[in-house]
Amino acid sequence: MAAAGWLTKDVAVIAVPLVTLLLGLLIGWLGQRSGFCSIGGFRDFFMFRHTRLLFGYIALIVGAFIGYLVFWLITPTAFENFFWLLGKGLMPVPGAPAGLTVAAYIVLAVVGGIAVGLIGVMLGGCPLRQVVMTSEGNIKSLWFVIGMCIGSVVFAAWVSGWGVALLKAVGVA
Amino acid sequence: MCTNFVNNQFFTINSKNNFITFIYRHSDSINMAEIKAKTEEKSSCLDTIARSPLYVGLAIGILAAFVQVLLISAGGPEAYGFCVACHTRDVVNVAVNDIAGTKLAVAAISQNAILPVLTVIGVLIGAFVSARYYQEFRAKTGNAVSYIWYLLGGILFMIFALFMGGCPYRMGLRIGYGDVVALIGVIAIIAGVLIGIKIATKLAEREG
Repeated sequence: MAAAGWLTKDVAVIAVPLVTLLLGLLIGWLGQRSGFCSIGGFRDFFMFRHTRLLFGYIALIVGAFIGYLVFWLITPTAFENFFWLLGKGLMPVPGAPAGLTVAAYIVLAVVGGIAVGLIGVMLGGCPLRQVVMTSEGNIKSLWFVIGMCIGSVVFAAWVSGWGVALLKAVGVA
Repeated sequence: MCTNFVNNQFFTINSKNNFITFIYRHSDSINMAEIKAKTEEKSSCLDTIARSPLYVGLAIGILAAFVQVLLISAGGPEAYGFCVACHTRDVVNVAVNDIAGTKLAVAAISQNAILPVLTVIGVLIGAFVSARYYQEFRAKTGNAVSYIWYLLGGILFMIFALFMGGCPYRMGLRIGYGDVVALIGVIAIIAGVLIGIKIATKLAEREG
């Protein structure tokens, strides 16, 4: 059964670029004003015990939960698998390469997470911060964003297949 | 009530330690002088809220849920309201698919819609307008070596983020949605940050 939101499918396919563009404009403005950064939040907490940005990230998780809960109560069909853990167990929300086992997804989350944290802290920010800094005129961040664009093609064309093959060869997937 | 939430003690620290200056020299994420100047100027109530990461985080989380309730009919996956890595992937890969006729993987919502999710384009424009409006737009350049590092960092970041299934923001949304693997991912991100701080400290000591 296909999930159904407030807009019907015919309208939603047209509304997707418009709504997400407006969402992006708003988040860009807020992100520029607040210096919002997830990895920066962890960094500032562990280096200086500053909690300003860290609480922002925690607020995002809390806000997401409240938002999902409230809208789920209003329109349950738009959130078929909320609360995910109760319905689907440990299997993650789709997003990572499909068709693997739970163990493989956990391995991917651990390896990917460590690499993301490491790269983020060495280069001064999570992807949102890099995009915002690009808009503020930082050329180094512009190269980071260009790298992200190249990385997405490289991932989809080659690396995701290699990763899955490696996991299968090791016997986790 | 909304006079000065953000009058933070954020940068009262004197960066005596090498590694602090190292991190900030290599990050540019926050310019201390700018932060001070920002807190001194008088600002509107709305702007005070916009400058507080706490409210911004709450807003992003709730808006992401709102976007899902609006648009989920166009296609999955769930908890996909806001993600810098995945949404960049969707825009780039849809463009490449259209131009080169390839079949690179994109999310169902971007595949079905007339145009892919344009969140990242919106962030670029929104942050640019805001930076211009508040006169915070400054060209910051680096040398060629740093550009290569940032380019490589961007490529690797994207690859590992997509293996994980999202950038830190989507991991947050997924935790809110009830996904345990996302929680493991965020714990791994924290571990990565700690390793990064260790490496940066070592590098700074060596540089002297």
